[in-house]
Amino acid sequence: MLETTDIAAVALQESGGSAVSKEGAAALAVGLGALGTGYAQSRIGAAAVGAVAEDDEMFVTGLIFTALPETLIIIAFVTIFLV
Amino acid sequence: MKVRTEGSSNYEYVTARVRSRKKKLFDEDDYRKLVRMGQGEIARFMEETEYGTEMNALGTRHSGVDLVEYALNRNLAKHFDDLLTWAEGPLYDYVANYLRKFDAWNVKTVIRGVYTDAAPEDIETDLIRTGEFSERRLDRAAEAGSIEDVTEQLSPTIFGDPLDAAMGDFESEDVLVPLENAVDRAYYAHLLDELGRTVPNSPEALYGEFLEAEIDFRNLRNALRIARSGADIDPADYYIEGGQLFDREELREVATNVDELVERVRASTYGAELSRALEELEAADSLIRFERALEAALLEYSSKLSNRYPLSVCPVISYILAKEREVRNVRAIARGREAGLPVEEIEEELVMT
Repeated sequence: MLETTDIAAVALQESGGSAVSKEGAAALAVGLGALGTGYAQSRIGAAAVGAVAEDDEMFVTGLIFTALPETLIIIAFVTIFLV
Repeated sequence: MKVRTEGSSNYEYVTARVRSRKKKLFDEDDYRKLVRMGQGEIARFMEETEYGTEMNALGTRHSGVDLVEYALNRNLAKHFDDLLTWAEGPLYDYVANYLRKFDAWNVKTVIRGVYTDAAPEDIETDLIRTGEFSERRLDRAAEAGSIEDVTEQLSPTIFGDPLDAAMGDFESEDVLVPLENAVDRAYYAHLLDELGRTVPNSPEALYGEFLEAEIDFRNLRNALRIARSGADIDPADYYIEGGQLFDREELREVATNVDELVERVRASTYGAELSRALEELEAADSLIRFERALEAALLEYSSKLSNRYPLSVCPVISYILAKEREVRNVRAIARGREAGLPVEEIEEELVMT
């Protein structure tokens, strides 16, 4: 995550002059975390829907596994309160 | 016949559905029950399972063992068409290519039907309507009056040229083996074409490996059959390209000597998987049991691949094989009961994993 903010800092330096503010970096972190979550959930979700289509009993299991990557973004959300 | 579909494959969705369906196939207990049932009981059992819809739909037109068989075929076609509706991207291409197997099957059914002068309606009911051929092409091939007509009907397809080439052999010897092998060869040749060069250890490479194994097993089976029948046929003529176990010349050498063949297979990469099959062959000297063991080995191999590469075409292929196996098992049971075979003999015909 540190590298990403470094790159972002370099990229934004030209127009803004100073590096990204602390809040900005935290927002970036949350955003990137959300992207990761979305990617993971899309693939798990597809598999879960497939399983549920064949067997209704898979619904709860499928839901749990689809929601698991949610932890990623929840933990990323903590950064907001740390800055 | 290169159809490259754009976009990415939805392996997650398809493999999840396929695995769930594979789980629902008959297991050993079901077979044990089925083998001991009478004809009526088998039909009733089938109505309560997966095949119920088809049994009811066809119940007015057919009865007894025929009903079971047609219901099995129709159900098979339904499931494999489902696979094609789900799959996207390159996965669709792989599955569609593999399902050309049923085009090959249909071509062989038509040829056999025409050869035995069966009525077109009878041939049509035996076709499995999945795969690449259109309904119309199938119907017209079934209505053909002679083998020549059939090959003419099929000339625009991948089977056209190989069938033409095999006609000479067929005419001089009046056996169907050359034609049937031409069909198989055309199917496998195009399967490997499509795969092209692959990165080692990628899902595509494993799929290629699986196809190679299938070709090797088929070559092996053909060689043994020719050796056993004692017919004066050159096994190399029936060699299917693409395997890695034998080349054409080697096949000719080993086909005359069964012991050498067995040794050869034992030393190869399939040694471990085929050890049971080879023992059967040596001990019982029974070709049928060897062939069944060979099929079981292929099934196991495909399951192994599908576990090693969960997000690839392997689970789908494994499902196709297992479903096909189930259909053949149930048919063997139904036909066996009809003919009044003893339970043990029918069980020998079954392939279970």
